[in-house]
Order: sequence, then structure tokens, then C-alpha cells
Amino acid sequence: MRSRRTHPLWLAYLWLFFGFIIAPIAIVCVVAFQNAGFVAFPIDGVSLKWFAKALTYKPFTDSLATSFMVAFLSTALALLVGTPAALALGRRETRAADALTALLLSPLSVPLIVLGFALLFYLSRFGLGTSFVGLLVAHTVVGLPYIVRTVIAVHRAVGRELEDAARMLGATWLQALRHVTLPLIRPGLIGGGMLAFLISIDNLPVSYFFSSVSTVTLPVVMLSYIESAFDPSIAALAVIQLAIALTGLLVVERVWGVRMVGRAI
Amino acid sequence: MPARATRRLLAWAPVLPALLFLAAVFFAALIDNGLRSLAPPSGAPWYDYYRQLATDPFYLQALAETVALAAATTLVCLLIGYPVAYYLVRHARSGRALILFLLISPLLTSIIMRTFGWRAIFARRGLMNATLQGLGLIERPLDVLNSAASALIGMVHVLVPFMVLSIAAVLEKIDPRVEEAAEVLGASTPQIFARITFPLSLDGVASGAILTFMLAMGSFVTLLFLGGGTLQTFPLLIYQQFNTTRDFGMAAAMSNLLMLLALALLFAQLRLIRRQGVL
Repeated sequence: MRSRRTHPLWLAYLWLFFGFIIAPIAIVCVVAFQNAGFVAFPIDGVSLKWFAKALTYKPFTDSLATSFMVAFLSTALALLVGTPAALALGRRETRAADALTALLLSPLSVPLIVLGFALLFYLSRFGLGTSFVGLLVAHTVVGLPYIVRTVIAVHRAVGRELEDAARMLGATWLQALRHVTLPLIRPGLIGGGMLAFLISIDNLPVSYFFSSVSTVTLPVVMLSYIESAFDPSIAALAVIQLAIALTGLLVVERVWGVRMVGRAI
Repeated sequence: MPARATRRLLAWAPVLPALLFLAAVFFAALIDNGLRSLAPPSGAPWYDYYRQLATDPFYLQALAETVALAAATTLVCLLIGYPVAYYLVRHARSGRALILFLLISPLLTSIIMRTFGWRAIFARRGLMNATLQGLGLIERPLDVLNSAASALIGMVHVLVPFMVLSIAAVLEKIDPRVEEAAEVLGASTPQIFARITFPLSLDGVASGAILTFMLAMGSFVTLLFLGGGTLQTFPLLIYQQFNTTRDFGMAAAMSNLLMLLALALLFAQLRLIRRQGVL
């Protein structure tokens, strides 16, 4: 690392860039606490009534529960299926391994709206059209590549010396996996899992196609709400969502450190 | 030797669950979708949906707008994101955690929140117009919302973190000693950047650009609420056809084309990177 003073232009640019990043988020936080029933500036008066409305509006609370359930289960499934594959593929430099990795990552390059549309019609053939299982399967397809990619990246980064040493010292592959490999790639599991979870929670294009009375997720409800009304209760709800995501992030950061969070994406 | 062959085969076993899952659901669904797009109502030839896509000026225009918007988004993300990635890796020390946190903050917020925020800023009585009028810079409110510009701003905002993190991940792997060697040998800072750092980071630029382009080409919520119908892209048309027109065959053909386009670009870019010897 070269030790050079940071040029003031750098700081000016960073302020500008992060102002752009934060602006719409900050605005929503302000709007959530305003008094008026429409969005206008400057705001007149502060109120918590939109939070009360958001938290008592039944479609919001019901769909939030569905969103959490789908995000949790699909992440768990993707970790279960994706981790072994990533460990088997990550360190091989053969053409076959490359091709298989590309196949496992391929859902990433299919636009989500295409994925949702195609999966809905396909799963409908098995009576899973707008069911919870259908929604879960679709979210698992979306989350899997993030797990595979993150685990491969972390597994490659830690190098193979420790695992080889364990095997040479007489550990079985299962022991090496349990006591060496898994602890080493834990940041990848946590990071990839968190990413898959957050992406599932926020997923609108796929969830949209699978929505029915029993499977509607929060973003879909918010979408249909925003289409008819533009009142601050959506802003209040968004602030609550952000608070939940932040809490999750803080917990992860406290336990595993911020570098891990960066590595996940 | 059969034992060895068996063991080699067994080494692939961990890949099977993931592969079978994707084959049974994901690949099958895409094939199913492809077949639907090749089965127009009776009387028309099998390729009829694609004939419409290739000849109808309405669809050609939509295709052009889809690609143009994705390309513009990718370019802007690269231009404004590269310096941030560079700063993050080369300069930031104590501020690193904060920068990372701010950077991924759009990813922590829901897509609805970001869209709502931009609407509140760009609306006729929104923050931007209120501020500009308060400062006396404009007399009447500007109509920024529901234009290609507000759609582009919304898209860049959502996607620039992906670009920055892709580039930063590669910049981080560049051995600083390579740059130090260039410095010792008398290269200036711009020279080091142009001839060493930037070429070595092309891998990250390419993967960031691919990711951004894919996500931009497929996104529709941002467009739906910020573009206001000024842009008619394929995802928007698929959404409308599913919702209102209910022309599922046409929607299948469009989603198929959108996907093939994404895959073609992916392959083209990967080949390009490989030929340059970066990968």
C-alpha cells in the first residue's frame, strides 16, 4: 500500500456519489414521518400515524409473514443443494468443471421476469401454479447461483493447504470437511445465504407471477398498493423493512465482521 | 483401475443434487417456454410469433429501447462506479466499513422503497422542484418524472453497487507490488493506472458490465414507476401481456428472445475477455 494523502477531489466525488445513493432512501424515511396524506415538500408536521396504518393493514402483515417464510426456506434449500456442488467444482480447472459451474450459475443470466413467467406455466402443469411450493421452488432457483458463486469464491480464496494438511495427517474426508473446510468457508455460507435471503425478500418479478391469496408476498402487495395510492404508509412500511434488514446486517457484522458482508456480494 | 474410475466419478456426486434440481425445474421450464412460443394459434406457421417480433415496427422499437437502456445504464454505472471501487480498495482505510455499508444500502432497501423515493424527489411537488423553486433557480416545476432520464437514474441507482463490488473484488486481488515496481521504475500515477491497474482490472469491469447489463435488460419495476410509459421495453411488454392482453404465446416468444439476447451477450463478452488473456 502506497501511503499517499487522499486528494480532496476524491472526497468531493465520494460525497456526491453517496449523496446520490442515499437520497431516495433518506427521502422515504422523511416521508414516512410526515403528517399529510400526500407526498409534498416541504413537509408539514411530523406524525407516526402512517406506521400505525402500515402495521395494522392486514394485507401488509400477512404478506410479510409469507415473504419471511419463502426467503428462509428457499435460502436453506439453496444452501443445502448448492454448497456441496460449489465445493466439488470450485477448485477444478477442467473444462467439465467450468461447464458445470456455468450451468449452475446460469439462472443469474436469465432475466427474472422471464424466469417467473416460464416457471409459472411449467409448474402449473404439475398443479403447482400459484402454490406456496411453486413460489418456494422459484425462489430457490433464483437464490442457488448466489450461494454457489459465493462459496466457490471463498473456497478458492482460502487455498487448499489446510485441507491437504488435514488429509495428510490422517483425517478422513468427512473429518476434513467438518473440522477444516466448513469452518473455513463459513463466511461464504453466511454471506451467500444472507444475499439469497435479502434477494428473496425483495423479489418482485418472480413472486408477482406466483401470487394468489395464500402466496402473495410483501413486495407484490406493495406494488398493487402503490399502483392505486401514493400515501406515506408505503414509505412507513419500507422504513420498517429497512430496519429489519439493517438489524440482520448488524447481527452478522457483530458476529462475523464487515469484510464478510462485502465479500458476499 | 476400475476403483480409480469409480472414485473419479464419485467426486462429481456432490454436484448432482443441484444439477438435477435445476434440470427438473429451471431448464425444463425454459424448454417448455420455448415450445410455447413455437405454437401459435392454429392456421399460423410455427414461427409466427418470431415473424411478428422481427417485422412489426412496434416490437423492433421495443427491442431497440430495451438494449439501448441496458447499454446506457451499464456505461453510466461503469463511469461513476469505477472511481468508487478504486478508492475503496486503494485509499479507504478506516472509512472502509462505512463505504461498504453505504454502497450496499440500496440492496438492503426494497425495490418499492427506492422507486418511491425517486418519485418523491422528481414529482411535480417533489423535493427537487421544491428546492429549485425555493432557490429561485426555476419558475415552474420541471417534469422530470416519467421520462427516460428518471428511468435511467433509477436503474443506475439500483445497479451501480453491483458494478462497484465486481470491480473492487478484482482490484483487491492485484498485487500492490506490481504497481510499486512501476512506480520505482519511474511511471507516473496516471501511467500506472492506464498501463497496469486498469488492464489488470478488466476482468472485474467485464463481470460487472455483464451483471449490470443482464439486470438492466430484465428490470421492469423501476421502469414501470419511473419511466411512465415513455420507454416500452420487453420486460414491460411481457408484464402487460401477462396482465392485460393475456397473449401468453407472444409473451413466451418475447421472454425467449430476451433470454437468448442475454445469453448471446454473455458468451460474446466471455470470449472477448478470454481472447484478451485476462481470464
